[in-house]
Amino acid sequence: MSNISLIIGREFNERVRKKSFIITTLLMPVLMIALMVAPALIMEYSHGEQKRIAVIDRSGLVAGALESDETIRFETVDLDVEAARDSLKEYFGVLHIGAGILDDPADLRLYANASTSLMLEGKITSQIEHILETEKLKRYEIEDLPRIMEEVKTTVKMRTFRNDKEEDEQNNSSPVVATALGYILGFMLYMFLLLYGSIVMQSVIEEKNNRVLEVMVSSVRPFDLMMGKILGVACVAVLQILIWSVLICLVGAVVLPQLMPADVLAGAEAVRQGAAAATVEGVDPQLLQAVAAMTDLGYILKIFGCLVLFIFGGFLLYSAMFAAVGSAVDNVQDAQQLQTPVTLPIILALFMMLAVINDPNSPVAFWFSIIPLTSPIVMMARIPYDIPMWEIGLSLVILYASFAAMVWVAAKIYRVGIFMYGKKPSFKELWKWMRYRY
Amino acid sequence: MNILTVEHVSKHYAGHTALDDVSLAVPKGSVYGLLGPNGAGKTTLIRIINRITAPDAGGVRFGDRELRPEDVYRIGYLPEERGLYKKMKVGEQALFFARLKGLSRREATQRLKHWFEKFGIQEWWNKKVEELSKGMAQKVQFIVTVLHEPELLIFDEPFSGFDPINANLLKEEILALRDKGATIIFSTHNMSSVEEICDHITLINRSKNILSGNVDEIRRCHGANIFELDYRGDEAALRARLAACCEVMESTPSVTGYHTLKLHVGSDAEVRGVIAAANEAVELRSFREVIPSMNDIFIRAVNGTL
Repeated sequence: MSNISLIIGREFNERVRKKSFIITTLLMPVLMIALMVAPALIMEYSHGEQKRIAVIDRSGLVAGALESDETIRFETVDLDVEAARDSLKEYFGVLHIGAGILDDPADLRLYANASTSLMLEGKITSQIEHILETEKLKRYEIEDLPRIMEEVKTTVKMRTFRNDKEEDEQNNSSPVVATALGYILGFMLYMFLLLYGSIVMQSVIEEKNNRVLEVMVSSVRPFDLMMGKILGVACVAVLQILIWSVLICLVGAVVLPQLMPADVLAGAEAVRQGAAAATVEGVDPQLLQAVAAMTDLGYILKIFGCLVLFIFGGFLLYSAMFAAVGSAVDNVQDAQQLQTPVTLPIILALFMMLAVINDPNSPVAFWFSIIPLTSPIVMMARIPYDIPMWEIGLSLVILYASFAAMVWVAAKIYRVGIFMYGKKPSFKELWKWMRYRY
Repeated sequence: MNILTVEHVSKHYAGHTALDDVSLAVPKGSVYGLLGPNGAGKTTLIRIINRITAPDAGGVRFGDRELRPEDVYRIGYLPEERGLYKKMKVGEQALFFARLKGLSRREATQRLKHWFEKFGIQEWWNKKVEELSKGMAQKVQFIVTVLHEPELLIFDEPFSGFDPINANLLKEEILALRDKGATIIFSTHNMSSVEEICDHITLINRSKNILSGNVDEIRRCHGANIFELDYRGDEAALRARLAACCEVMESTPSVTGYHTLKLHVGSDAEVRGVIAAANEAVELRSFREVIPSMNDIFIRAVNGTL
């Protein structure tokens, strides 16, 4: 067994057997789901107590038509404004509607006992606007108005198709799914690069401080040592993703069909089969496409295939840099400054990703998904949008090629750095190390 | 035959010279002491021998040819600061290092069991290194170093951190390894251990090799013809007698009734005359040459008064 595989094995075993790895791997998806679901749940249950608003309606048109819901309760009171403002402290506020509201929409005041929110104000004004519009329509004395109004009401639902795709490939072009997946994948890459990159860095620093390297270097080439560590940690990352993808596939293929109503599922199946016109009564076609995509194993596998390739490549590239930084310093504190140029592109890529998601086919999106330092995150965010395969291929080739170049440079710094103790090196010194001859 | 020859090795770091034209030869089967004050360049030399760093000038020969990368498998190196993974279990870690040195898993396990038994530390196998004391960890490191039975062993300060009992155990093991045919280089500040186990030494001071050779020869060479004489009798008479043939350096009155006189004798040939003269003057109890300790030689050499 060659030394590099021994080192990979050690790094891998060391990390995978840790309790923290098992816990993170299992808890992370739960946490992610919780993060996505929690805001919705909080919104659902946290509207707090109903806000009571006393309504003084001088026009006599609005108060009767105001509809209370679970957040606001309108109560008509028969007081003048000053008295109401003084006495009705138990109310959230007093809403005063002027007599001429119909012709003067600005004659509307809310005297609140506490600070209001945009949402609350919006709710009140939109209701009153709607009421006033209806009132104004009534002035035209159209016959049968309520029925006409009901008939006129329209909600459009659009389905999107790609002209460059065959009918039966149309399933994945749901922009909702693509956007959501783009975000999730981009963030995942971001998280992995930073997290696993700094794991490599810390472990290099630890080995250096333990003087383990001194024992190792006499039997292993420093290059093997560095590559072994990087690849070992990369294997851990890949294993983690594989576990997650298996979990997600299980959810997609087994759990989701159980939860979804049968007709939605049948519709999704129809969409997948290429019946582009498939619709299900009462179900948003966007949702249908989303379900179709999420339960489509082929699609999920393609995404995860790319995910693994990009995480692997991106991780190799970045961790080579992190390893070089780790080798140059004695402790994590000293690493802060040196790792800035390494973390900066990751953060830049994250911001680019947010921009790219809005326009995945722009030149900016293209170039940032080709430039190696930002490509893993940006490209991963674009992949759900069904971009051409050659772009993915090109991006991967450049990524892996720049990894090879980076490893060469990093190994040089590493070789010198691991036996330099004491002073924290400057960038100038790192540059000198790169050209050191052994 | 020399197993290792260092030829005119120089190494410069930015701002200072770590080694300046150092040469030495380590005879096969010897215990070779590498001495020198802190910062003299010992560790740099050891790193060059281990191919951790390369010399700026000069070379290292292993046996009768240039030192090659694959030779590191034939060298065992115990660094001064112990390098073990803190979170890893002792047995697993020892196995890992042994396999890095080219042993098969089976072979390594077998040998490790043997050594653990020898040192009475079998129960440590599943302990993490961080649970061990410094001395304990050092034992493990020692085993790891010698496990692949290298021809050349390099110990950097092997006794630091050991209690006298374990230091003795280690000393015996080092000598046993030598008896089995290994060559041992070790760097140390502990001069009594040098006298006990080293055959040859090199003294490095300020990046230069200032003294090299066989320990006994060095001690004898630098003996400088100092003798001590214990006697009972009249000191004045003795001094009068001796004045003709040697120089009295100091006299120590003794509580046991015997006095001691330290003498400097001009040459070996005059020793007989001195004994005869003393014998006539006083009741002579003993007469012996004072061989300087390595400690004295070390201090004198470093201070430039040898």
